[in-house]
Amino acid sequence: MIHRIYSLFFGILLLFATPIYALEVIEILGGKASEIPIAIVPFEGLENIGGQKAHQIISSDLNRTGLFRPLNTRGISNSPSSDININYTKWSSMDAQFIVVGKVESENPISGNIKITWSLIDIFKEKTVVSMRYIGKKSQYRAIAHKVSDNVYEHLTGSKGVFHTKIAYVKKVNNKKYSLNVADFDGFNSRPILNTTQPIISPRWSPDGEKIAYVSFEKKKPVIYIQNLRTGKRTLLANFKGNNSAPAWSPDSRKLAIVLTYNQNSQIYTINADGSGIKQLMRSNAINTEPSWAPNGEDIYFSSNRGGSPQIYKVNINDDEISRVTYEGKYNLSPSISYDGKLLIFLTNDQGKFKVAIQNLISNQVLKISEGPADESPIFAPNGHLVLFTYKDYGKTTKIGTVSINGLKRLPINVGSSIIQEPTWGPITN
Amino acid sequence: MNIPQFNFDLIRNSNLWTIIESDDNLQANLFSFLIHFALFIFMIFSIQWQTKIPNFAEVELWDAVPTQIKNKQLQTKPLKNKKIKKIKVTPPKIDKQQLKLNEEAEIKLKKKKNKALERKKKLKEIKKLQAKLLKQEEIEKLQDKVLEQEKLDKIKEKLLEQERIEKLQDSLRDEELKKKPTIAIEADKEVLAGVSSGELDRFKALIQQKIQQNVNNQLCGLDRVELEFEISLMPTGDLLGEPKMTQSSKIASCDAAVERAILQSQPLPLPKDKKLFKRLKDLKLKFHPNGHYDL
Repeated sequence: MIHRIYSLFFGILLLFATPIYALEVIEILGGKASEIPIAIVPFEGLENIGGQKAHQIISSDLNRTGLFRPLNTRGISNSPSSDININYTKWSSMDAQFIVVGKVESENPISGNIKITWSLIDIFKEKTVVSMRYIGKKSQYRAIAHKVSDNVYEHLTGSKGVFHTKIAYVKKVNNKKYSLNVADFDGFNSRPILNTTQPIISPRWSPDGEKIAYVSFEKKKPVIYIQNLRTGKRTLLANFKGNNSAPAWSPDSRKLAIVLTYNQNSQIYTINADGSGIKQLMRSNAINTEPSWAPNGEDIYFSSNRGGSPQIYKVNINDDEISRVTYEGKYNLSPSISYDGKLLIFLTNDQGKFKVAIQNLISNQVLKISEGPADESPIFAPNGHLVLFTYKDYGKTTKIGTVSINGLKRLPINVGSSIIQEPTWGPITN
Repeated sequence: MNIPQFNFDLIRNSNLWTIIESDDNLQANLFSFLIHFALFIFMIFSIQWQTKIPNFAEVELWDAVPTQIKNKQLQTKPLKNKKIKKIKVTPPKIDKQQLKLNEEAEIKLKKKKNKALERKKKLKEIKKLQAKLLKQEEIEKLQDKVLEQEKLDKIKEKLLEQERIEKLQDSLRDEELKKKPTIAIEADKEVLAGVSSGELDRFKALIQQKIQQNVNNQLCGLDRVELEFEISLMPTGDLLGEPKMTQSSKIASCDAAVERAILQSQPLPLPKDKKLFKRLKDLKLKFHPNGHYDL
């Protein structure tokens, strides 16, 4: 009897059963999108301060990275200034995935302080990602706008923004005057920290942000100085026999790798930041130069002609073990390693044109990200998403500019009409 | 199996008939007479079940409502006068002015009647015109309906043709598949389920391409990362609910970027065929934003 009931039950189940399939699986390799469409809406209130507008500064910042595509917000009526009553359909129809809204108010009429309230809104998910408020002096308006950019960048990319950082570069006027200048990352608020009649090359900002090491020809030969940015005081780091050049800071800012022609040709040495403890890193007959200290503190990338033509190698400072890094192209030099040690940039000779190339150290894929023909001195931004380098403007005057690591955005940094060269990028500071 | 049957012989040979025939005929006749008499009496003095007797009323049916009462009254007057003549009573003097007035009143009444008739005629004409207009409108509407119907019929025909073509294509595919015995067992299963594996793969490739266009792998770092999402789709290709992440890349910006890519890809390309749609309505999406370095 029980068997009959069971068989009847299963019979009924079979009658109502539909075929059950495993979930269809679709595999998606890589991705073809490169930029996040974002609308930076003009801020409400006192947005125009001295001709500067917050939404334009933020838009310009994000555009430079090659990761964002700021949308044109001109002529849009009823622009929101807060995350209340957002017309998501309208912004979605404009292809915006995110919008930034805000307002600028006078915080205190006596002190002249301003208050900026802003929000980042996710259009797809119809929710506010972040809302913040900054209070500062009117003179800090650009800095506050850069802070907003940093926050937007960090929330959407997971990496810290570099819009509040500083750069340094060498300005050359009429082949007679040289100055080492410090400016905001976009070239604004430039000021000289050293003026001299002798050439200055290879400035390098210390990872702790306190000092800049550079090569000066004041002693009728290249010697290395370290200048404290707070006090302005400078010390002579290396004035050994022969040429002293190409300083590179260790990640902890305690040591430097330098290049000396002490014996014969250029060789790499390590030295303490106070000038003590000089030590030759490896001994070879080939030229070893342009060191770049890896973030692990143990490897130093450098260029060498030990294989015949210049290529990038790396050496372990503990056991002097050397390995070749670049294989693509016959002429590669001037290495710079990213903060996470996963990307390498260098100059490559591409059929007579010197271009900036980037190599993924995990996949070893190489991508040329600049056009040439005479690009020089590539150096990573502290977040590893941008590259600062020099290029010949219309093939004549040397200028500095940035290129995104995807090669999509190459934009100049406007710091005047003089010859601008030898740039370096300061660290991210709080 | 034995089918039960009536045994008529048993009925014929039963004692029922013999019992009736054995009784006295007189008694039976008396009994039947009494019964019939009682029924006759009952028919005459039967019970009146209706509690209320309906009230009758006489009604005179007229073809039309009398409207000329006044005229009739006027016509009766000379008759009365005639009777008076017979009695030889001096006839009363007829007032000429009164007659004139009466005539005028009659003329006026006639005019009024004529006017009323004319109005009625006009109203009838207007109504006829209105009716005509309404009929025209109706005709136009009907014409429109007919045209629409024709259009719909054409569309239906086209759809039917498409369906026929698709069915033919499917049947051709099925035949081709049947002709190839070496095709994998999986493909046979697809055919049995009424789903073409070629079409299934084609739509999977279309979905893959559309989503890939929107994945921004720059937000996924440089290491080899993998993500998995499960999605449910409506026949329109839009998502039913939100994408469900079943495996994270452990990079928040990467997870968000991939989710955005899925959302941005709406509507996804889906087949019209219901069986094929059933296979694709729930999907598992595996993402390798930085590719397979070990391949």
